[in-house]
Amino acid sequence: MKKIINKPEDYVKEMMEGLYIAHPDLITYTGDDVHCLVSVNKKPGKVGIATGGGSGHLPLFLGYVGKGMLDGCSVGDVFQSPSPDQMLKVTKEIDSGAGVLYIYGNYNGDIFNFDMAAEQADFEEDIKVESVVAGEDVASAGPAAPGEKNTRRGVAGIIFIYKCAGAAADAMLSLDEVKRVAEKAAANVRTMGVALTPCTVPRVGKPGFEIGDDEMEIGMGIHGETGIRRGKLEPADQIVEEMMDKIVADLPYVNGDEVAVLVNGLGATPLDEQYIVTRKIDSYLKEKGIKVHRYYVGEYATSIEMAGFSISLLKLDDELKGYLDAPAQTPFFVQL
Amino acid sequence: MMDNQFLICFLNELQKVMNDKREYLIELDSVVGDGDLGLTMGDGFTAAYEAVRDSGETDTGKLLYSAGKAMSIKVPSTMGTLMASGFMQAGKVLKGKTELADGDIAELFAAYEEGVRKRGKAEVGDKTFLDGMDPAVVKLSHSLENGDSLLLAAQKAEKAAEEGFRRTTTMIAVHGRAATRGEASRTLEDPGAAVAMLMMQAFAKAAESLF
Repeated sequence: MKKIINKPEDYVKEMMEGLYIAHPDLITYTGDDVHCLVSVNKKPGKVGIATGGGSGHLPLFLGYVGKGMLDGCSVGDVFQSPSPDQMLKVTKEIDSGAGVLYIYGNYNGDIFNFDMAAEQADFEEDIKVESVVAGEDVASAGPAAPGEKNTRRGVAGIIFIYKCAGAAADAMLSLDEVKRVAEKAAANVRTMGVALTPCTVPRVGKPGFEIGDDEMEIGMGIHGETGIRRGKLEPADQIVEEMMDKIVADLPYVNGDEVAVLVNGLGATPLDEQYIVTRKIDSYLKEKGIKVHRYYVGEYATSIEMAGFSISLLKLDDELKGYLDAPAQTPFFVQL
Repeated sequence: MMDNQFLICFLNELQKVMNDKREYLIELDSVVGDGDLGLTMGDGFTAAYEAVRDSGETDTGKLLYSAGKAMSIKVPSTMGTLMASGFMQAGKVLKGKTELADGDIAELFAAYEEGVRKRGKAEVGDKTFLDGMDPAVVKLSHSLENGDSLLLAAQKAEKAAEEGFRRTTTMIAVHGRAATRGEASRTLEDPGAAVAMLMMQAFAKAAESLF
């Protein structure tokens, strides 16, 4: 393991301390616990939006707390869910009477803990909580049949859900309405990733899986979950084409649609390569007659120092476009 | 009649067995999961016991709820939260009681199972904790209804849980990482059901101490 850290067990705590030092105008913590992050900018009467999950994915999850996006976030150890108690502390701090919406990824640990926190918020604090669970990784499972639960993992596409729901809450919509917007965004986003190298959880000290120097794994999850195909590394255009075929066919995104595109680096893939990928995505979409309203390129949801990237598409209508374009300011996301 | 001293004794036996079987659970969990089950169960049930050991709480429901809450704070992993949910549901059902009849003990375990089932949205037969727990809960309540002593009923429940755990090698996993293996998951022993088996062992031990 080669990392710029002090003690592995202090990894999360010290990272959080650094964040509070760097962004005092945007974030602070509550409940005397650095894992319970909240926005310093409160807007009375607004629906509160909270997220949470394991550490190791910066800027996800906590990096999107700020103006126009999220109000709070609880973080756990690397790749571990925070506790219901920590989620509850955040919930209490960000509720201003209009209720709280939880938006988080489709992982059992997070679901169980957020469900328990929601029950406690209702039972112990009289706070109304609704939840929207993001699960848009097309490589992780087939689409859910009507009435069946979605088993797809949630990955980088959740940022689109944060952005749209955050703008809706900022426009002072009710809890039910903010939830509806979040669900609409969730229903229209699809993601797929590719990994070139593994990542190492500091307290574990060795890589989570092995992969050859000349290999890639298409569809791998952001904790190293098995993908759909492992093979020899190919040219960028070929990789993008394989991923785009799967993403576009899934929703499907069709001729005449308008989309936002998120190209996301997983931690160790340089921006140079991400822009090489972006160029191919654009020509691919042009050929399909799909119009791009906006590109986001960079690191949005990482997997510590994994090399690779993901592509997310969000299909837009006028309502989602308005919320996506609204201004926001967080430690990692600034849109004027 | 029993009071909270019996539950504290049970929780002590529970943390002991989970700590004793740490390596066994790690080994079972390493086959399909990330191998941390032994750690989370040992740490989690220890936290549950320590939260109630010296609390002086006389309300059975509140005692169980606080055990669950302590566990949920200590080990917010998938299985940790499920086990905490069991305690919290049992706490809600038994709230207000300060004395426990044998039937209340059966109700406690039924509520525990229900709490886990609701949180995990799983059913019996899905190859989970429930497949160890459910046969034990059924056996416990039948045995007590037939007039068996709590000790005999606990021993029968212990055996039922073990048989339930063994039967998980005939089931296909539908939850968690094991589910991605489909048919290949069938012959594997389920680590969650092993936790149910150990839980009923601890219960039988606690019942022994009453006699």
